[in-house]
Parts: sequence; structure tokens; C-alpha cells
Amino acid sequence: MAGKAPVYTAKKKSGVSASPAAGSKEKQRAAQKTTEKKGAAEKKREKKPANTKITEKKTPRSSSLHQRGEKQVKTRRGAKQARETARLNAVMRDRRRAALGTGGFGVTLMALLTAGFAALGFLLLAVREKGAVDTQAFVLMAVTVPLGLATSLLLPRLMRMDALTMTLTNFICSVGLVILYTVSPERGVRQTMFYVLGLAVMMVMSAVVSRMRRTGGLTLLAMVLGIGALALPLLFGTWQNGAKNWVEVPFFGSFQPSEFAKLALVLSLAYYFSTHRTVLQMMPAILFAGACLALLMLQRDLGTALIYYLTTVVMFYAACGNVPLTALGVMGGAGAAVLGYKMFAHVKVRVAMWRNPWSDPLDKGYQIIQALLAISSGGLFGVGLGQGTPEKIPMYYNDFIFAVICEQLGLVFGLFLLAVYAALIVRCVHAALRSRRSFDLLLGCGVAAMLGIQTFMIVGGVIKLIPLTGVTMPFISYGGSSLISCMAMIGIVHGIAGRAQREMSEDLFAMEE
Amino acid sequence: MPLCRKHKLYARWLLPPACGWSPSLPEGGSKGATSERKRHWFIEETYTRSLPPGGTGAERTNHDSRTAATTNIFFTPSKEVIIIKVIRRRIRLLTALMLALFTAMGAYFCYSVYFYGGRWISNPYNPRITSQKQSVIMGTLTDRDGTVLAYTDANGARRYSNSRDTRLAVCQVVGDSGGKVSTGADTFHAQYLLGFKSNVFERVADAFSGTLQRGDNVQLTVSERLSRYISEQFPEGKRGAVVVMNYKTGEILSMVSMPQFDPTHVDEALDDEEAGALVNRCTQGMYPPGSTFKIVTMAAALENLPDLDDFAFDCTGYYPVGHYSVTESSGHGVQSLSDAFAHSCNTTFAALSQELGYEMLGDMAQKLGFNENFLFNDLIVYNSSYPIDDLSPEDLAWSSIGQGRVLATPLHMTLIASAIANGGVMNEPRLLRSITTAQNAQRTLPAAATGKRVMKAETAQRLEKEMIRVVKSGTGTRAALSNGYVVAGKTGSAEASNDKSIETHAWFVGYITNDNAPYAISVVVENGGAGGSVAAPLARKTLQKAINIGL
Repeated sequence: MAGKAPVYTAKKKSGVSASPAAGSKEKQRAAQKTTEKKGAAEKKREKKPANTKITEKKTPRSSSLHQRGEKQVKTRRGAKQARETARLNAVMRDRRRAALGTGGFGVTLMALLTAGFAALGFLLLAVREKGAVDTQAFVLMAVTVPLGLATSLLLPRLMRMDALTMTLTNFICSVGLVILYTVSPERGVRQTMFYVLGLAVMMVMSAVVSRMRRTGGLTLLAMVLGIGALALPLLFGTWQNGAKNWVEVPFFGSFQPSEFAKLALVLSLAYYFSTHRTVLQMMPAILFAGACLALLMLQRDLGTALIYYLTTVVMFYAACGNVPLTALGVMGGAGAAVLGYKMFAHVKVRVAMWRNPWSDPLDKGYQIIQALLAISSGGLFGVGLGQGTPEKIPMYYNDFIFAVICEQLGLVFGLFLLAVYAALIVRCVHAALRSRRSFDLLLGCGVAAMLGIQTFMIVGGVIKLIPLTGVTMPFISYGGSSLISCMAMIGIVHGIAGRAQREMSEDLFAMEE
Repeated sequence: MPLCRKHKLYARWLLPPACGWSPSLPEGGSKGATSERKRHWFIEETYTRSLPPGGTGAERTNHDSRTAATTNIFFTPSKEVIIIKVIRRRIRLLTALMLALFTAMGAYFCYSVYFYGGRWISNPYNPRITSQKQSVIMGTLTDRDGTVLAYTDANGARRYSNSRDTRLAVCQVVGDSGGKVSTGADTFHAQYLLGFKSNVFERVADAFSGTLQRGDNVQLTVSERLSRYISEQFPEGKRGAVVVMNYKTGEILSMVSMPQFDPTHVDEALDDEEAGALVNRCTQGMYPPGSTFKIVTMAAALENLPDLDDFAFDCTGYYPVGHYSVTESSGHGVQSLSDAFAHSCNTTFAALSQELGYEMLGDMAQKLGFNENFLFNDLIVYNSSYPIDDLSPEDLAWSSIGQGRVLATPLHMTLIASAIANGGVMNEPRLLRSITTAQNAQRTLPAAATGKRVMKAETAQRLEKEMIRVVKSGTGTRAALSNGYVVAGKTGSAEASNDKSIETHAWFVGYITNDNAPYAISVVVENGGAGGSVAAPLARKTLQKAINIGL
């Protein structure tokens, strides 16, 4: 492969000289590098003709392919052919970009805007108090802004990943960090540390996922670890807020194993659903999901259990498309929900408070009412960063952070944030759809489903669309476990995208020769 | 156990043959040069479909992709290829579903904040109101003539009008600083008074000027003079409510609810809970509408029954329905529907209701706003109720004359009268006249909903004729005005209890038909007696005063 690459570059006169290396590993790396550079060079060349291909026929072209396309227009093919050729040219251009994986002008702009948002937010918070400058906010800005820029602009050039996904993630994270810092500076600082840690975890996950060949062993390991992690709080945990889902670890603080077990769930479902085709062969994953659900029920962490359950159903449908069985699963879930409603008193309370929180505004309906009051007090454009009275809402840094965001930055920003979440989910799916292995396909789908369901559940709960379930808001809620596990999921998406990119660039080579 | 083998049953011929690749290349590709054909194949196959050429991903890594891509044009699709395509389709479907969910969530979010946001802010449980009062100077509340009803003094305390009469006359409309009257303007319009509606620029301007932020000044549509007059004229010691509104604009000119309280001494009112002075009976008082509901029954009959002019009924003072009977103190004899309406004959309307049936009557009542959750921008109005569940004949008969389970607020009855006056179009009631910011700019008021047609124009015309007859020669003669002003109306004497010794609630609902005095009114005097003798004179005096003031 590397042996032929220089021939190509020489022919194109792009000035890239990649000398064939001796070792096989070296060879591969050199080949990859050439692809990237060539892709960049080609992108530059492509820009003009892409837009002017049909309208301006007299522009001279360098590429022989383009010349042929033009000839078609002039001589024997009609306008339909010209359109078809233009479409294919556009497809090729996209494809080169995709193989490069660094994103275009749009991503750069978005990354800059994200950095601007974070910088402006922290700057404003730094000078919030009159006459005193908050150096902590400056430090946070100095950490997050360059890190965000580096990960969304620089990192995609160093390793194969999806720049747009990274940028969207960075934006959501920076919203979370800024808001957390306004409502509770200590938590903001801690969360920033988790963010840095999360980025590292993301890179590791990305590298692992994009390179792993045989997934069986890894999946088994993840399943064992997942079950073990979920059992931890039952053995060592304590009851907090009616649930027993935290584990205290000396020297580290407390963490929530159910957040990390999500990864094991998605991994095992993707593995068993992609390579084992009959329901019986899918059973290990379904049993694993059932075991997770049972453990979560024992911990009384019903919100997380619902996420696990819905993700399983979604992935089951995606994998085998068996509508009767999926419907059966959904009905079973509904039955379980009714049973839960009958069994657990606090579920009953939650549903009653969803139907009419005003019936008990000072006790049971207090949370949701305070959230609604905060949202409406913010109005369209919010009361301003750092203003308002977020501490009146219980769990303002955690479950109800969306209400705080809406109070401070307004309804419009809240809607925009939802749109960014939607874009992130679509991007995850996009990465999955580009891959050529059903395992990657299902893995990406599972990650997207999990993020989407979790966002919908918490935001819908806060705005009283659905009964409130105490789950975290991905990337934004305070909590290291949640943030790191979400980052790991984004790492999985990067891994999938990275593999697809590598395969694409290999195909490009094959084709150009 | 092949339960999950749908893809295996997938008809091959439904798919484009063999993974999208057919020997006859699409779009003339076969006619081109070999290299072009390859290019077509390559792009179609590996990008738009992005499938592994003929094998799984795992296999693919093991063989040289270049040879596969360039030489093997016609290949056999593997199972994996088909499966991937089907999974992709399902994932696209699921993604569309997820996006639909997110869109629905955004739409619900906008909807709830738009319709309920104002109510949430002005909720007494909102701690922001209390905290905002510390940092914001609450705006001034004035009546339509500019008379100050409530203001904030230099020490930041909330003060009310100096005259005790004024304070009392508008007490429920204005409310109190403690939020005890949750429907009062001081609480309900706190979003303006406390500057929640200020935008970023106004906040910045306040911050730079170094002063405390000032809330907006709110001018209400009510007239303090008219309210004071009504309070004076209201029968001594009685409870009840009077609502006057301009039926053309929907502006509420006065809302007086008896008994009243002094906002400077709320504790006294709190002590005497039984009197319910803190309740605004105009918007929160649920009364049986009695004979005034015959307007609704009449409207339903006019719209639905064809030969109404031939309708004649012999009133013997007794009409048996089911196990019970509707009674009348004295028989009216044989009369037309018009006579029955003028004399408010219960038996005739009970008979009419049996002809209408509960569906038609229920439809009309709901069209006119019964059971509707009023979400007016400017004020909170409790919903009136009309039982639409399967009515027994006797229930239906009692409902048609506004007894039984029918309940209405005085404001709602005023709205019905206004709708008739407007030719069948019901306007939204308004309480806000203008809002002025601290920078002396006018804030745009929330847009009122466009008038809703609740009955046909002919129906409204006919009803007006009948209602004029009521005041001219029927039960409501004591509401008639002189000087060419023609009043249309309907009296009511609603039984509030089965105990005959307790006096009925006296009702009058009506309006002035003249264009230069578009006032609609409803009067309720609790346990006042007959509507014609108690409520109608009060209505006359009130309307006369409104004309004199010239609102």
C-alpha cells in the first residue's frame, strides 16, 4: 500500500513525499499519514470545481475525472447525466473529507464559538463581584478553553475520530461547567477535573474500540465487571435519597457503578446481537440486561433501570426487527411499570406530582414546582449568568440543572441546548451508519439511544412532560461517574467513526490507483 | 428456534439485486469507459451504501481491499451485507423517532412556558417574588383614570390608596402585598411590577445608573370611581359580586366583591374566614346561575330546534319529569317561548330541555365556556361547570334552568352577555390597560385571543330581542334605563339550598344595547331574594353611573 502511495502523490504533484518505510508497522503509519496529507491537499483542490462543476463548464480542471465529467456534458450525455456526475463528484468530495475526519470550516467555527462561550462565561463569572477578581474562574478558563479547542481542532488530526461529535460534546460540557461554577464554585472545579479525566478516558476508549478485532473476550470481561460493579452498592453502599446506588471508595470519594455498567450493557448487547442471530443465541446479552435490571431494582434506582431497559428494547429492535417480540418486551416493561407503581410508594408520589404538583406545593410537589417557577422566571432570554436564585430548587446542581440553565440563560437557550443534544445523537448515529460491521452499527446505535433516552427522561421530567425520574443530565449534571461514563460513550463513537474513516481511506487508495 | 429470522424471509426481489449492484449499471454507467464504470461502482458501493465488498468486516481486513475494489465488479452478497442494510434502515427509523420525541419535548416546553409561564411566576410559592422585592422597587398600580391604587414608598414598603373607601372598593382586584389574595393584580401581575419582564438592556441600564431596579408601572382597566359607587350601593350587609365590562373591548371596568377587606389590615380578614373577604367572588365565586342560564337554553333551542315560533306550552305551575317535577309558584297559562323567557317560566324551559336533549344543551353550554379551563392573559377566572355526563331527564330539566349541578362565576355570565351583545362573538376579558417601564417606555401587552364565535349572529340577534323584552315588560323592568338607553337582560333567582326558608341568590345579567355605552353587567346578591327586585335595580344604578362617568 505504502509502496504505491508515492506514485500517486508524484502524479498529482501535490508535493507530498512519503518515502516507503521498512517495517510493517512503520509502513502502515506512513500510509495513514500520506492519506491524511493527501486528503488535505485534495480538499483544497476540490473546493473550486465542486461548486462550479455544472454551471461553469469552461473552467480548466486538473483532475482527469473532472474532465471526463465535463466531456459527458458536452458530447453524448444529457443534463441528467451531468447531474448524476455532479452528485457523484460531491459524494467523492464528502468522502475524502470523511476519510480525513477533521471536519471542515463549520466544525472550526463551532469549536471557536464553543471556546468563546466558555471563555466569556468564565470571564463574566471572574468579575462577578465588584472590585474583586475571581482567579479560580480564570484558572478554569485557562484549562477548559484550550482543552476544548485542542480536542475539537487538533486531536482529530492526530488520531482518527469525529471532529463534529467532539465539538458538540465540548459545547455541552462547557455549558455544564460554566453553569455549575455559577451555582456552586467548588463543584464546578471538581467537575472540571472530571472533564479532563473524561477526555483522557474518551481517548483511550476511542483507541480501543477502533482497533479491537475480536470483541468476544472483551465483552465477557465487561459483563463480569458490570455485574460486579452493580453488586457493589448493595454490599457496601448506603441509602441516600431513597436509593442505594453509591459506593464510597477510600482516597477517591464516592462513585456510582450503574453509570459505568452502562458501557458493559451496550457492549454486550452489541456483541451478542450482531454475531448471534437467533433469539436463543442473543440470550446471554438479554440475561445480562435482566440481571442488571434486577440489581438496579434492588438498589431502588428506578430511573437508571428504565434507561437500561429502554436501551435494551431499542437495540433488540434494531438488531432483529422482530416487531412482535419487541412489542412483547415493551408490554412487559409497561406491566413492570404498573407493578412498580403499585409496589413503590415513591413512584406513586412521583406520578401524582406529575399530574398535579400544585396539590402539595410545599412538600411533595416542591421540587417540580420550584423547577417550573425557575424556568418561567427566566423568560425568553434568562435573568443572566450567575443571577437568579437557583439554590431554591432542590438538587439544582444535579437533576434539576436544566431548570437552572433555563432560569439563567432563558427558554431560547434551553431549546438550543436540546437541539445540540439532538445533533449529537444524530452524529452518533451517523458515525454508526458509516461503519461496515454490524457490531459497530449496533454499538453506535446503543450509545445514541442511551444518551437520547437519558436526556429525554430528565429534561421531560423537569418540564413536567413525563413523571420525574432521578437520572442525571448527560455531560452537564454534577457528578464524576456520569460525566466520565458519558465521555467514554463518546469515545466509543469516536472509535467507530475512526474505524470507518480508516476503511474509507483504504478504499480511496484502492480507487485512485 | 428461528424466531428472529425476519431478515432471512426478506424477499430478495424487494431489494435492488445483489446488494445494490446489477450487471446493467445504473444511469448509463455501462455505456462509459471501463474506468468510469469502476468509479461508479466504487462510489455507489462503498460510499452511498458503504458496505464491505462481499464479506464481513473481519474478513475484509484480511484480504487486499484494492484488488476487491478494482477487479471484482460482480460479486455475491454475503449475509452480513444484507443484515447491515436492514439494521441501518431500522436505526434510521429509530433515530427519526428519537428526533420526533425531542421535537415534541421542545414544542411542549414552549407551549407550557407560553401559556402557564406567567401564572407560574406570579404564584405565591415563588420564592423569587419575595427575594425580588428586596432588590427591586415594585411598580405602581393605577386605575384607568390614573388614580394610584398601590405604590411602593421610599422605605420600600407597599402602600395602598389613602382613602379607605378606595382601598376597600378595589381590594380583591389589587390584592395584598403578602400574596394572600393569589388572584390580585399585586401578585398575579408581579412579573411586570417586579420587573421580571425587563430585558437585558433595561437591566444593564439600571445597573449603570446605580439605582435599584424599578419594576414596571401597571395601569388596570378598572375604574376606582365606579367600584366605589357600586360598593356604596350594594345592599347593606349582603354578600355578592358585581362585574361591569366593556363588551366591545373586553376591558373589565369594575369588579366588586362583597364583603371587602382592608389591605392594610389583612389580619382582620384572615380572622373572619367564614366571610371569605379575600375571595374575589367575581372570578372565583361559583354560583348556581338560576334563570340566567335560560339564556344558554334559549340559545341552544334557537340554534337547534326548527319550528320554535310554533312552540306553545301550557304552564300549569307543575311539570312532571321522571320521579320529580319542576314547579312554578303560579301557572302562566298557555304561552309562547318568548313569553316564557320574559316571565322566566321554569316549566316551559324544563319541557324545552326534554326536546333538546342533554347533548345539544351540553354542546351549547360548552361552546359558551362552561367546563372550559379559562387561560386568560390578564386574570385568573375559575371554570364554570355544567354536567355533561349522561343526564337523567330530571337532571336535564333542572340544568336547563340553571339549578342542580350547574355553577357559574359572575364574570363568566358577563362574558356570555357580552357575546350576545357582540353578535355571538366572545372576547377575552382584559384587566391590563397599559404597562409603563421605569424608563417610561410602553411595554406591549400580551395579545388577546381573537374573538371566538360562540353562536350564530341570528341567534344572538333573536336573544337580544328577547332580553330587551325581559327588561321592557318581563321580570327585569326595574333594570330599565331612561334617556334612550335600551337595556337587554335576564334576571335570575337561584335556589342555593333545598331549604325554602333560605332566600334565593338574586341575579341580573345584561348589557346596554346602545353603541355609545357598550357595558355588560352581571350582579349577584347572595340570598338577596328575587333577581327582579334586588339585582335589577342595582344593575340599573350601576349602568347609569357608568354612563355618567363616561368610561
